[in-house]
This record gives sequence, structure tokens and C-alpha cells, in this order.
Amino acid sequence: MAINISGISKRFGAFLALDKVDLHIQSGELLALLGPSGSGKTTLLRILGGLDRACGGTITFFGEAALGLTPRDRQVGFVFQHYSLFRHMTVRDNVAFGLDVRPRRDRLPRAVISERVARLLELVQLAPLADRYPAQLSGGQRQRVALARALAIEPKVLLLDEPFGALDAKVRKELRRWLRRLHDEMNITSIFVTHDQEEALEVADRVVVMNNGRIEQVGAPGEVYDHPASPFVYDFLGNVNRFECIISDGTAKIVSIGLTMPAIGAEPGPALAFVRPHDIELIRLDAATGDAGGGGVACARVRHIHAIGPTARIELDIEGHRFEAVMDQDRLRCLGVRAGDWCGVRLTRPRLFSSNSAALIQE
Amino acid sequence: MLAKSTASAYGGRPALQDPAWLRWTLIGTALAFLALFVALPLLTVFIEALHRGFGAYFAALVEPDALSAMWLTLLVAGIAVPLNLVFGILSAWAITKFEFLGKSFLITLIDLPFSVSPVISGMVYVLLFGLHGWFGPWLRAHDLQIVFAVPGLVLATIFVTFPFVARELIPLMQSQGIEEEEAAASLGATGWQIFWRITLPNIRWALLYGVLLCNARAMGEFGAVSVVSGHVRGLTNTMPLHVEILYNEYNFVAAFAVASLLALLALVTLAVKSVVEWRWGEDISGRRDQG
Repeated sequence: MAINISGISKRFGAFLALDKVDLHIQSGELLALLGPSGSGKTTLLRILGGLDRACGGTITFFGEAALGLTPRDRQVGFVFQHYSLFRHMTVRDNVAFGLDVRPRRDRLPRAVISERVARLLELVQLAPLADRYPAQLSGGQRQRVALARALAIEPKVLLLDEPFGALDAKVRKELRRWLRRLHDEMNITSIFVTHDQEEALEVADRVVVMNNGRIEQVGAPGEVYDHPASPFVYDFLGNVNRFECIISDGTAKIVSIGLTMPAIGAEPGPALAFVRPHDIELIRLDAATGDAGGGGVACARVRHIHAIGPTARIELDIEGHRFEAVMDQDRLRCLGVRAGDWCGVRLTRPRLFSSNSAALIQE
Repeated sequence: MLAKSTASAYGGRPALQDPAWLRWTLIGTALAFLALFVALPLLTVFIEALHRGFGAYFAALVEPDALSAMWLTLLVAGIAVPLNLVFGILSAWAITKFEFLGKSFLITLIDLPFSVSPVISGMVYVLLFGLHGWFGPWLRAHDLQIVFAVPGLVLATIFVTFPFVARELIPLMQSQGIEEEEAAASLGATGWQIFWRITLPNIRWALLYGVLLCNARAMGEFGAVSVVSGHVRGLTNTMPLHVEILYNEYNFVAAFAVASLLALLALVTLAVKSVVEWRWGEDISGRRDQG
């Protein structure tokens, strides 16, 4: 176990930024802290880096209590959202800074420092720009300098705050794949903060979903996406259709679209059903009878079809209640459904949450 | 010429092109005003100082009282400016890098010397440290003299010139934020290293600019210094006070000769300030692209 966080709280005035957060981070993993702004993810990262103080709780780094340690003693590399490069220093001096400021007894000889800096600049593909100033670099280049600077001190843990937040979409994609490869090569325990679910799901080994200062769910990307533990995670990760329903006698009924599904053993009361767009099945109605042919199927009007790329997004409407389905273009072509047609709708994998406690009722 | 080319750059829109007579009237008025109120008096100082020839001019400057006034002025500025440099950096640092109770009150307090008449600030020191002042008896018992002596001059000068450095640094440090300092801390730098290697290099030109202004004012200060000096010739007279005494004695050549030195100081300050502004203007205002 690399990092053990238990019961960490942080309060800014009346605002509770972190509410008794517990988290265990494995050695060598790449972990994403994902959440909307104000969810506490950056605050948690800053507390780990020693830039903010926690109001309560404990953190251990590799078994050693860390909260009393200075950033220097924690051996943590921090990459800031806006890079925070030293504007009056060249790229080379920026990267060397962490080695230059070591106390004399720990400081490496000058030649070793410059050799290591050269190697790092090679690693982040910036060797030709070593004598430039930060103002002369592009955003992606600055971010790589920031990364090289953090890596120079050979940190045991690398913390990255929205590392790709200020970059344009294309550079962002390149850089995050590059970061993933870099992590696989160097194998430093790394934690990065993001509000971009795609980024978190693509890059991280495990994703920590945060909301209102609490952790909603921790898990591998696929696990978090396929089995969200709460309505919040469902809403936050990917597109989802949300239906209000009522449970009675072991069945849940979505009143608005007139569908029922089994909810065996569930407490009677109001509940929420979540269905991903690709878990909504469209069925061609029998043209003559208008019969969908079986239970669990509702009749919907196709309002609009967005067909760009390999998948099509289909806007459906049942008595004014709109929702969305996604399927392959090919399948849609086979079905032959067009905007304005009627078709049958089946919910293949709904998940039910209690409205009162937000607890999962049934997969 | 300039106005014309600017107007054509905007496509010659009539709304931006004032008639020539209006342009020249405005420019002429501004120039005449500057000539009458700035250039002419400055010129007069040098003409009056030199109108009995260079011999009389230098005689007035090397006269013992004049030399002692120059020495005293350098001494007072030499103590007050470095102290204000340190105080200015400390207060700007505290205001921009930390959140604390009474911060806005502190900012107001820093501006106070700008809004209070220098005479009043001089009198405050007399009331505090004078013979019959609050600390007077204690100071006399310990054989310390502040008012009518060099320490009083230094105190009054520090008070009057305090805002210059801090005022120059606060907006710059506010715009620079604390991100670079945090980055340095995360890389293991100590507070001292952060200050010398990150903060100071980022503020150095604004600091120089503030020090220049502070120094010009410290050497030229009259009101506050006049109150606490006691006008003891050769002992507590700074250059501005010495000029006044000579002038009141109808010794115009000597008065203007010393005054011309102060005027030269002002011109040099202005020149260095312009160079700093021209060369490092963006660093001073914090407009340069954030690294």
C-alpha cells in the first residue's frame, strides 16, 4: 500500500470541501480523482502534496505519517494545472530547480544534475528547447516541462492537477496517451485530478468519483462505468436516461412511459431507474396490428435521428417524455426506422436506485 | 503626423479625426503649460545658480554647511531607503501571499503617508519623542535624542516615503499570484530559497522602480523633516532645508546652486525610471505572459 488516506476533512470557512474521506492507493497505480468542480478533488490532491492542511484525519505515505511532513520530506512531485513554471528561468533551469535547492549535504554534483536534466528533457521530447523561456513555449510544451520538473526530484508519488485542462482537444488526447505510456515505463504511483470522464476512464487504472467532498465510488474504469454505485455516478459518467418509477409488489413501474420491470423483494416506494442509451432496444412494430408482440415493450415515436460516424443517436418520445437510444448505423438501417415512425422500445439493462436513500436496489 | 497616420489606420473614419485646428490647439496648450510650469522653473534654477559664474557656483557647493547638508541627506536617504525596501517587501509579501484579518486596514495604513500632510507627520514625531512628548522623559533619562537630531530625520523620512515600495509591489505580486511559490515549495525549496530564487527575481524591476521613487522623495522631503530638524546648521540641515535657509538669507546663488543638485537628482531619477519603464515595463506591470 503506497498511500493510506483516512478520515481526511477540510473546511474553508463554512464550506466543507472534504468530508471524512478514506482512500487506499496501491503502489505503482495511476489513479484518477474525477468529479465536478467543487467536489473536493483538487483539495484532496493539494493536501496530499502538502500545499494545504487538512482539518482532521491521517495520511500515511509508505507506512509513514505524512501530514506533519514538509513537501520536501514527502518526496512528492506536483504538476500544476496552469504549469506554474518559473518565468524568469530557462526550461533547463526550471527542470533543475528541485535538485539545485537541496541542502548542500544531499545535493548532487553539478555534472550529475545537468546530466539528469538532459535525460529528462530527452524523455519529454524537449531537449532542443532547453534554453527557451516558458513564455516562448506552447501550452503542451509547458505542461511537459512542468512534468519533467516534477520528475527531476525522483518523487515517490506524482500528483497532477487537471494536467490537460488548459490544452486544446487534440494536444490533450496525445498528451494523455503519452502520460499513460510514461507511467507504464516509470511506474511511479500517480494521482491525477480531472473533471473529464473520458480522460479518467481512458488513462487511469482506477477511478475515484467524488461529489460534495465525499467519495461516491472507487473502481476500475469499466466497473465504474458499467456498475455505477449511485445515481450521481450514473449521471456523471456517460449519457444516461433517468426514469422515475414506483415499486410495489415486487415490480417497478415507470409511470411516464408505461413500462414495468421486476424488482423482487424491493421495499415499496419511489425509485429511479437508469438506462444507458445503448441498453435501449428498438423493435419494429408489426405494421398491420401495431402490436409490439410481448411484454416489457412500450410504443415510442422517433423524433429525431442523429447519424454521424458509426453510431446513431435516436431521440424517442412516449407521451411527451423524451429519452435517447444509441445503436450501430448498420442495425438502424436493418430496422428501417426513420424520424416520425413509431417503434417498440425495451429496456434491456435498467438499474434501480431508491429515491430516498440513493441505494442500489437492483441491477 | 502621428494623429493623421493613426486616423488612416482606422480607415479614416471621420468620427476619429478631429479638425487640425483643434488638434494643434490642444497640443499647443499642453506644451505651453508644461513649458511655463515645469521647464521654465527648472531652467531658472540652473540660470540663477550659474549667473555669477562657475566659480561662485562651486564655492557655494563646497562650503562646509552645504557639504554637511549633502552628507546628511545621503545619510538619511541611505538609512531610510533600505529600511523601506525591507518594510515594503515584507508588507507587500504579507498582503499578497497570505489571508489574514485586518488586511484591508493594513493596505489603508500603508497609504496613510500619502494622504496626511508631511508637516503633520513631522509634528506627530515631535509629540511622541520630543522633550515634552510621550516618550520624552524616558528618552531623556536614557540620554537619547531623537527629535532635532538625525534619528528624528530618519524616522520622519521613513514615514513619508513608506508607501512607495509597497505600492509598487502589491499590484504586481497580486497579479503574479502564489503559484510559482507553491511549485517551488513542492520541489523542496525552503522559504528563504523561495524568496531569493523565485519571488525576488519576479519583482526585481518593480522593486528598483519603487526604490528610485522612494529615494527621490527621501532626498527631497521638506515638510516633515523641517518640523523635526530644528534647523541646526551643519548638524541637522538636509539639502532642502539648507536651500530654504540660504534663500531666506538672500544668498540666491548658493541657494540655487544647492537646489540645482536636487534638480539634477530629479532629472537622473526620471531618466533611470524611463529606461527601466522602457526596457522592463511589462515586468513592472505584470503584463508579461504568465509562464
